[in-house]
Amino acid sequence: MTSPLYIIAVALAAAFLLGLLREQWRSLAYPVTLAALAFMSWLSASWLWALASGSASPVDIYTAGTAPPFAINLRMALPEAVLTLLINLTGLFSALYLKSALLARGRRGMAVLLVAIMALSGIVLTRDIFNLFVFLELVVIATGGLVLLSDHAHALSAGFKYLVVSQVISILLLIGIIFAYHATGTLNIDGMAEAVPGLQNAGASQAFELAFFLMFIALVAELKPFPANGWALDIYEAAHPAFSAIFSAGAGTAALYAVDKLLLIGGPAWLDMATGVGIVTFVAGNLLALPQSNDRRLLGYSSVAQIGLILAVLGQRDILGEDTYFIAGGLLLSHAVAKAGLFWLSGLLAGRQLVDWADLRERPMPVFAFVTFAAMLSGLPPFPGFYAKWELVHHLAGSGRLVLLALVLFGALIEAGYLFRWFGYILKREPPGEADFCRVIFDKPHRVLPVMVAVAAGWALAFVWGELASSLLGRSNLLLALPLLFALSFLLLDWLPAWVKNSLAIAGLVAFFAATWTDYDALRMIFAIIFTLGGALTLLASYHVHGRRVGFYPAAMLMFAGMVMLIRADTSFDFFAAWELLTVGSYFLILRGKHSEPHALSYILFSLGGAFLIMAGFAIAAQGAPQFALASLAHVAAPFAPWVFLLLAIGFMTKTAAIGLHIWLPGAHAEAETDVSPMVSGILLKAGLYGLMVLLLAMGKQQLYGIELTHVLLWVAALTALLGNLMAVFQEDAKRLLAYSSIGQMGYALFGLALMNHLGWLMALVFVINHYIYKAMLFLAVGGVAKRTGTREMYRMGGLIRLMPLSFIAVLVGIIAVSGVPPLSGFGGRWVFYNAILASDYRLPMVVLFLAGPIAFLYLFRLIYTIFLGQLKDELRRVKEAPFWIVLPQMIYVALLIAFAVVPGLALHRVDTYLNQFFPEGGLSWAGGEITSNYGYWNPVAIMIIVGVIFCTVFAWLLFVNRRAQPVKQFNIVFSAERPFRPETTHFAWNFFAPYRKALGFLTQPLVTIFWTTVTDLLHTAGDLGRRLYNGNGQTYAFHFLAFVVIVFFLVGL
Amino acid sequence: MIAQLSIATGFLLILIGLYGALIQRNILRMIVAFTVADTGVNIVIVAVGFMAGRTAPILDAAVPVADAAARIIDPLPQALVLTAIVIGLGTTALMLAYAFKLYEKRRTLDIDKFTDLRG
Amino acid sequence: MVKRFLALLLLAGLGGIFASLLAGYIPDAELNLTARYYADHAAGDLGAANIVTAIIVTYRGLDTLGEVTVLFLAASIVGLVLTHRQKHDPRPGQPARTRAPVGELLTTGTRFLVPLILLLGVYVFMNGHLTPGGGFQGGAIIASGILLLLLADPLKHFSHGLISAVESLAGLFYILLGLVGLVLAGGFLDNRILPAGELGALISAGAIPLIYSLIGLKVGAEFSSMLASLSETEEL
Repeated sequence: MTSPLYIIAVALAAAFLLGLLREQWRSLAYPVTLAALAFMSWLSASWLWALASGSASPVDIYTAGTAPPFAINLRMALPEAVLTLLINLTGLFSALYLKSALLARGRRGMAVLLVAIMALSGIVLTRDIFNLFVFLELVVIATGGLVLLSDHAHALSAGFKYLVVSQVISILLLIGIIFAYHATGTLNIDGMAEAVPGLQNAGASQAFELAFFLMFIALVAELKPFPANGWALDIYEAAHPAFSAIFSAGAGTAALYAVDKLLLIGGPAWLDMATGVGIVTFVAGNLLALPQSNDRRLLGYSSVAQIGLILAVLGQRDILGEDTYFIAGGLLLSHAVAKAGLFWLSGLLAGRQLVDWADLRERPMPVFAFVTFAAMLSGLPPFPGFYAKWELVHHLAGSGRLVLLALVLFGALIEAGYLFRWFGYILKREPPGEADFCRVIFDKPHRVLPVMVAVAAGWALAFVWGELASSLLGRSNLLLALPLLFALSFLLLDWLPAWVKNSLAIAGLVAFFAATWTDYDALRMIFAIIFTLGGALTLLASYHVHGRRVGFYPAAMLMFAGMVMLIRADTSFDFFAAWELLTVGSYFLILRGKHSEPHALSYILFSLGGAFLIMAGFAIAAQGAPQFALASLAHVAAPFAPWVFLLLAIGFMTKTAAIGLHIWLPGAHAEAETDVSPMVSGILLKAGLYGLMVLLLAMGKQQLYGIELTHVLLWVAALTALLGNLMAVFQEDAKRLLAYSSIGQMGYALFGLALMNHLGWLMALVFVINHYIYKAMLFLAVGGVAKRTGTREMYRMGGLIRLMPLSFIAVLVGIIAVSGVPPLSGFGGRWVFYNAILASDYRLPMVVLFLAGPIAFLYLFRLIYTIFLGQLKDELRRVKEAPFWIVLPQMIYVALLIAFAVVPGLALHRVDTYLNQFFPEGGLSWAGGEITSNYGYWNPVAIMIIVGVIFCTVFAWLLFVNRRAQPVKQFNIVFSAERPFRPETTHFAWNFFAPYRKALGFLTQPLVTIFWTTVTDLLHTAGDLGRRLYNGNGQTYAFHFLAFVVIVFFLVGL
Repeated sequence: MIAQLSIATGFLLILIGLYGALIQRNILRMIVAFTVADTGVNIVIVAVGFMAGRTAPILDAAVPVADAAARIIDPLPQALVLTAIVIGLGTTALMLAYAFKLYEKRRTLDIDKFTDLRG
Repeated sequence: MVKRFLALLLLAGLGGIFASLLAGYIPDAELNLTARYYADHAAGDLGAANIVTAIIVTYRGLDTLGEVTVLFLAASIVGLVLTHRQKHDPRPGQPARTRAPVGELLTTGTRFLVPLILLLGVYVFMNGHLTPGGGFQGGAIIASGILLLLLADPLKHFSHGLISAVESLAGLFYILLGLVGLVLAGGFLDNRILPAGELGALISAGAIPLIYSLIGLKVGAEFSSMLASLSETEEL
């Protein structure tokens, strides 16, 4: 194997060689530079390959023919190979990116770049502390030089501030090194580590501690901890983006590894300091990133924060043990690749504000690149950060370090927040300038290539980390999961027309169900049918869209993949990965709506917050066990069990939009596209219910401080039902009405689950099926109407019964089903529900729930009356029926509703039997067409016949009585001696329930919205306050650094 | 005794230099202050290696090879300080170049005026 | 005022740390592990009489390579940053630049001293393995001669091409020697590629004199380059 020394030797030789070339030969100098960097990368890669495959073992490279500690030695083991490969590749692609800048500055600029990369590799490879210092100084000087390659007006002052504080750092580092040498007699890192325990008398030990403190704080300062990081942030903003990429990915990596080496010397006593500095930096860095509007500065703060997190991980070495490098490496590689990619991407755009990135809007490739990078940084599956975060959270929970756990998740949520907000700008804002992005790409291929390489590297790392997780830790490699691969394949097929992809999607869903239907027990079978077959049914409506619909199918299939993987998950890891996948997929779907930017952001924030709570719950339940089967939730130890229950329950309730966590739903479901709303409202909400079912089945009733948690759930459910229905009553927008209705319906289902008896669960399951069918149908109907009339406001519609009869029938059947009026399936659900309530002990929540019932009827009536009945407006006289493909699924749903009304046993019998194992008492008995409970009986066929007979009789009588009725024109009416002539004045539709608003309106005050808005405002204010610290003066930054040193010194208590 | 005194002197110089760097507004004076501090660091490094009653680590007629281990002071800090001096010089040169460019751009050497990037 | 007070406070804190370090400092009575090894083996293994040189060039040769690179970087960046003013070419429309003469003493003194200084510099770096001194010291002395030349004649133009050629060639040869050590002797920058010779002779200590001479030339060239660049910024 070629000696790693050649990394250093070749780089330096090339740098010196460049000095020999004449100025005019700079076009020759550039390939020399690239060749040298390519050689260095190849060398690292070959070592990585050899070490990973086992054909080589870690080696120490001696210099000067003398063994350490008398000469300097380097080490090449697996971490060094990975990190040097990262550094060299970043250098290579940045050099490619910097082509024009380097050619303009000439061979000296290229030499500086080569030396910078070499020095970063040297920091990683060396095992001598003074050698580390020399390489560090090389990096500092090279940074000072490379900053000047930028055209930014303020690059000079940024570079000078950097140099000023670097001087102070190196002073402290040198003092520390020399006194450490004096105490231990060696400069070799491993030698020092061995000598430290042997320092006999207290005086020598104390002296060493002081010296170590100085070295440690100086190297930690190189990581740009909060608040001593103003001096470096300006560089991120002002330097050339390719250099910022090196600064973030390369310098951060090298500095982290240097700190790791030092921790080796210092021992476990210093881990707390690393953790403390790291976690404060993580949280503060992300908070300060929130109010940023300059893209590169935001990336700078984010880099600082991520590196802080990795420092905290290194500081947790005592509990992480062997997994330390897996976790730290996963986070580090995600950060490095994503940041480099984002900086490179920023160089393709002209504007520097976050909203200027809207230039990328119509370009699938850059958008996909951004999505990859944002997902890597947020720790979403299948990227390495996801696996790393899972392990980290589990170790922290297992050792009881819950405050640290909470801080990590808090910082991560903020980071996800600003990244997704940025993505919203990209997709939804107006592109600022006239810059033709296509031209940029073709003019500057050397800038696009690094971005593409970064994207490819990100996905490759996702696969590698998945493999590592499965071989080392027994997790599953997510990229090998068939549903996920199916969803990702749509990315490659996005160039096909929409109807082809739609057919593929439907076929895929149906085929998956057909292949796996035997795997499910009765409970999961219902969800499986809804997720796959139900999904296929709603996708029928998507045929109405023409064109290619880029981006729709990957997102939709990702959501379905997540849902399918959710019900097939046995372990907490698989469950959680599926949960996050479906969250991400649905976010992209929702974001496609025209006005959905703020709502999609709200949705992803609530969902991720809930997901983090779920992860924390699983972690605390696992208590450090490597694998945690979902069934083991039943055996969680006593003091933790109620907390686990609470965390998991709240997490699932964010998905079902329980009251307090519901504010995202109305906007998200209302603003989504016509065929997306049925999917997210009808299908996605069920995922939350599924989670709650799993939770309640496993954990049952739990008590926390004497309060019965299922009782609390009952109240929450009742309030959700009441308030959801009440808010639906006052809506003018049809889709918002349906969205609030969903909130209310989910409240009902939750109530049934919380009753914790046989019939309550049966009712919940009836709800699951019913709600899917009628909500999908209603959304499709309303969507079709909205499409034809051009508006969603109900008061603008009216009298559409003649023009859109099929939609009318669908809505009619729908509202009968929802309201629970016989003969349709809603009535059956009600019947089960009343039996369930009679079987339970709770009275007061029941009353609240009963109130919700008639209130629901109010908005249902409004829906059908204001849209289809009443007076037809002038501008709508020519509308046609909704498109065929939107009407078709509605008719299928009508048929299903009627069928389900007549033969409910098709679905319910098996579930009833299945529930007997959990709730043995109170089941129903199914005899022929009749269903009997403890309190009464129900015969659906008989009811259908009776109602049918009554209906037909009354209808026939009406027809007979009105057989000679004279049709009149719309305005052939007079009242109060006035002859109205405009439909608007005769169609009572706006503010329909004004009296109810006066009476009950106080219940719909937006308290929850105000609460959450206040929370976000507080976070932004905190960020703004923190920003004032960075007043731009380099001397002040030197003050910050010294203050940091002194304060940490006193905190560590030396 | 000599060693402690020298180290104390070195520390004093470092503190004086840092004080100047923190207080002075003129960039050139800051650079000079850093030079003073660097000198202080170098003094400390050399002083740490000093051992009383011993001589320089050069083997010649006065210090034959056999007596070397008993007669010479620690040679390593001397090697280290050489490197430290050179590195200090490198950064000073760089800062001076920056000072020139900053003056060329803004016609001022007051560090309080270079607060363009903030927040 | 507040600034001064804060600075004093912080430096008092720092001073406290330094004071504790000083209080805990106990001078060694015997050479420690590493120093003892150097004392015992430098002459025997490497043939160098100046132990510090042996450490710098061979034992910690990688550090020295880094140090040389620091100077290279600094010189490159200074050259990059400071544009070359063609100060000996008159701008159109302006009279040719003249300057008040710097004085007979300086001019004559320079003419006398500069060769001696250069000679001293070469002597110092060639004898680095025998007497105190070496490449860096010698290079600095050479550069001081160049500085004297610049002071005497501020308009003197140095060929940056020549300087950078010397710099680069010296650097390349340095690395090549190091790699030869990797191939022929024990490791990178091992000086035993050439015979150790007799202790105390000029041609001894293997490749050390050669390397140190290269370093001396390189350092001298780099310092001169920096000085020349800085001098060329002067607006007359």
